[in-house]
Amino acid sequence: MLPTITPTRPKRMDDLLTSELIAKLDPLDLSSKRVFFGKLKGERRSKKRGQSVEFADHRPYATGDDIRHIDWNIMARLDQIFLKLFLEEEDLSLQLVIDCSASSDCGDPSKFLFMQKAIMALGYVGLVNLNRVSATAMGPGPGSVTTSLRDLRGKRRSHDLANWICSLNPGGTFSFREAAERIAMARRGKGLMLVFSDFFFKEGYEQGLRRLVGHGYDVFVVQVLSPQEVEPPITGDLRLKDVEDGDMAEVTISAPLLKRYKAMLAAYCEQMRTFCARRDLTLITVRSDTPVDVLVLDYLRKRGIVK
Amino acid sequence: MNWLTPEIGGIAAAIATPTLVILYFLKLRRRDMEISTTLLWKKAIQDLQANAPFQRLRRNILLILQLIVLAGVCVALAQPEMAGKKLTGDKQVIMIDRSGSMTSTDESDGRGGKTSRLEAAKKQAAAVIDQMRDGGLLASDKADSAMIIAFDSQGETLQSTFTSDKELLKRRIMEITPRDGPTSIDEAMRLAKAQSPQRIVEGQGLIAGEPMAIHMFSDGRIPDAAKATPGPDDNVEFHRLGQPDSANVGIVGIRSERSFENPTNLSVFVSLQNNQPLERNVDVEILIDGTGKGIKSATIPAASKSGLGLNGAEEARAEARQREALQATGVKPVDAPATTKDTLQPGLTGVVFTIDRSDGAVVQARVRDPGSGEPPTGDVMSIDDSAWLVVPPARKLAVALVQPGGNLFLSSVLSGLPLSRLVELTPEQFAQRAAAGSLAEFDVIILDRWLPQGAKKSPGGEAPAGGVPPPAGASATAGAASPAGTPAAAPAPAAPSDADLPPGRYLILGDAPLRLSGQSSGIKVVGEGGSSAIVDWRRDHPLLRNVNLDGLNIAKSRKVEVLPGSGATALAWSDAGPILIDTITGDVHAVVVPFDVAESDWPFNVSFVVFIAQATSYLGDDVDGGALRQIQPGTVLTDRLPPGASDASLKLPGGASQTIGIGADGRVVFGPLKDVGVYELSWKGTAGATDTKTDAGAKRYYASSLLDSQESDVAAEDRVDLANKQALAQAKAPEVGRKQLWPWLLLAGMGVLMVEWFVYNKKVHV
Repeated sequence: MLPTITPTRPKRMDDLLTSELIAKLDPLDLSSKRVFFGKLKGERRSKKRGQSVEFADHRPYATGDDIRHIDWNIMARLDQIFLKLFLEEEDLSLQLVIDCSASSDCGDPSKFLFMQKAIMALGYVGLVNLNRVSATAMGPGPGSVTTSLRDLRGKRRSHDLANWICSLNPGGTFSFREAAERIAMARRGKGLMLVFSDFFFKEGYEQGLRRLVGHGYDVFVVQVLSPQEVEPPITGDLRLKDVEDGDMAEVTISAPLLKRYKAMLAAYCEQMRTFCARRDLTLITVRSDTPVDVLVLDYLRKRGIVK
Repeated sequence: MNWLTPEIGGIAAAIATPTLVILYFLKLRRRDMEISTTLLWKKAIQDLQANAPFQRLRRNILLILQLIVLAGVCVALAQPEMAGKKLTGDKQVIMIDRSGSMTSTDESDGRGGKTSRLEAAKKQAAAVIDQMRDGGLLASDKADSAMIIAFDSQGETLQSTFTSDKELLKRRIMEITPRDGPTSIDEAMRLAKAQSPQRIVEGQGLIAGEPMAIHMFSDGRIPDAAKATPGPDDNVEFHRLGQPDSANVGIVGIRSERSFENPTNLSVFVSLQNNQPLERNVDVEILIDGTGKGIKSATIPAASKSGLGLNGAEEARAEARQREALQATGVKPVDAPATTKDTLQPGLTGVVFTIDRSDGAVVQARVRDPGSGEPPTGDVMSIDDSAWLVVPPARKLAVALVQPGGNLFLSSVLSGLPLSRLVELTPEQFAQRAAAGSLAEFDVIILDRWLPQGAKKSPGGEAPAGGVPPPAGASATAGAASPAGTPAAAPAPAAPSDADLPPGRYLILGDAPLRLSGQSSGIKVVGEGGSSAIVDWRRDHPLLRNVNLDGLNIAKSRKVEVLPGSGATALAWSDAGPILIDTITGDVHAVVVPFDVAESDWPFNVSFVVFIAQATSYLGDDVDGGALRQIQPGTVLTDRLPPGASDASLKLPGGASQTIGIGADGRVVFGPLKDVGVYELSWKGTAGATDTKTDAGAKRYYASSLLDSQESDVAAEDRVDLANKQALAQAKAPEVGRKQLWPWLLLAGMGVLMVEWFVYNKKVHV
């Protein structure tokens, strides 16, 4: 809840991913409930017929077909020309979205650091499995997007991803709706999208999430809360100031008020969960003190994002 | 319910309530804290956070509680108090009788026992004080105030100024101790009235002073009640103490007399009184110097309606008048049987003891129950069960007769008296002896138609105070020093013509001194008069007891006047003025007959012989101060010690000793006396003629006894008839309870504050 006084900023990939975690991540691959069309050849079976070694079907020859795909054995036996169709293997597009606003830089451990580590881990899994990884930082900037990174492929690019993550500096405020529109417009193809944020948007998360739904993307919403947001450790007569917009709330902390706050938080999360469920979004609420490997290996695996 | 300061409460409420509400809109001073988002907090408090001020106030229990606290405080500031019995005046005078009869133990102490009337009076007076309105914190000028006066034979202001300090007033009340003296309310009433004097207001004339409520705590046995005149607007409340049927047997008189023929034969007369309508048998014991010398049974007649009093019929008429007055005013007497009872006249009887004793003695008489030897049963007052008397030693008198020529009548009478010595002196011999200081050997000096020249001169202006040396020497013609032991006679030489009478006791016939031992005699000679006849005389005076002056004719009288406020008292009057004056000035005690006896037919009358005998005896007895040594409680003990006396101390009846200062002329003053009993004055130095010698010096005894018929009749009266009012006994003791409510309101405010604090901590609150 409270801004991290001396935030720990990762400087290189090792700060984000430990070797133990890498060892755990290496066998993993991304998965999606849907099978999307890829852009490049990858290691994922596509709905498209392609050039893999796996046989899919036959079809009659039509003019213009590549004669290299003619099944000569069938032609010899039946004297008809059939083409041999193979299953296509394609890559998967992974879109990682991180909230780079000031509110992310709160909590102990920091929500932002947690999100950095999480997208690094997921990005690494994507890159290792030759998926196309894109990343977007929502924050102050044109269209509420601070910076973005597009179409990384291959394990070698994991350092590029790490550098990009390390370069992120949270602060300011943004419009989630604008950022969502921008992301929705800018994306190409279909794939997985994971949005990391606390989703405490004064304007509401609904409009933004609606824009991200559709277009064939499988959207996972990861709500990161700091332990202090779940269990506020504050007492007394306070004037609470929103780090993003400076909004004030005067409260006198008392047991009933805390109880009410927690009820409100639970209701907020529940409302969001219902919203997401209706729109075929998957909501994962996670505390920032959760180890990243638990997130990836446990929470995300259970929800079928990684396998 | 009274409100002492409603204005202050109202003003405080008018200021504080809006202030509280305004302050309530002001925010708390809060600690700033940055958080990730206020979204949830705002949602959490949204339904409690009112947008409009009055919505905010509407459901704010904290503000309501604070307003309750404020209301409590404001009401407390208005200082309400529970109504007790409303006291009528703002100024209260508490008058408490502390006379002998108030020591009667016939009041209930609330625990089944008995307590004295005075203690009960103090308790009731304290209750009256409690009932006074308090000014409270901010309006002390609105408080009732009171002063305290205690009275026995005199009044004493124990709290002389009106004050509202209840604790101080109660402390003063509790300091009151009983006195064994008689009752007199006149002085106390004057003291009370002095606090509220009459005023002259322009256009209105003389108006009465501020009305007061006078609370009189007494048993109603106030002989001089009719003299007391409270103000017309004063409200007199009579709080009666004691019971109307209280029984008491007491000694109301004691006197001793030596036989004229045989002075060693001492008779002691004891008068007894019974205030009950039943005959009482008692034993009377006589003790001399603490040793029993005799016991006699006496039957005291019952008190009766007509009684033994001579004025029974007058009393009955007075009662009838009072009843009529009561009916006319519509006031019903509180206790009708008691009203009847209070006209009972006590039964009286006397006992005489005859003792053979030539020495002086302290005689005690006491009343005892027959057989048991204990004080009389059912007796509520003990101080009159004993009486004391100091009896001088028996002796015959030495008399000097000074006359320029012979007086057959006087010489014949004196020669017939049982005197130890009779010396006839010429004026010259008198002057010589005065100069030599040898006049002190005579108990009484009779001056017949002659006075020293100095005694005929006025001291000029007012009489100087006692102890001041006379303007002219008091010594004799020779101008020598006056006799030792007469300090008032200054040793300064003086012109022989200015010498007046040296200290001593004189019977002066045929002349009137203007100056005695340097001081005014209190007599003023107006001139010579013609023949005159007797008008009246004091039949009760010891000097004139059994002396019948009827038919006395004076051919040539001397017109004199008695100066008011002096030590002179006229005892007999002719139509030309006083013809017999008893005067005491400092060291001189003189009985003055201003006219020439030879110019009247008195010497041919038997009353002349009786008068000369009684005068010598009266003046001679004064030698030892016998009359001075019988002191009623409440009066002041005053006496003179022999020259050279020092370190005087007085042993009180209770056994305590007290040092007494001795004046320049040997005078000692103590008092007023509080208790009955024997007071023993001892000093270092020479002893007087009748004093008891001790190793270090000498002792002198004084007897203090109540000896008051009114006080010994302890039946409480139901009303007191003052000069202009009738005070009826209160039906009951005043109810206690003028309760101050503001402390409770403040406590309630504090309680609500605690509740508010609890609610504050429990409540979700912005």
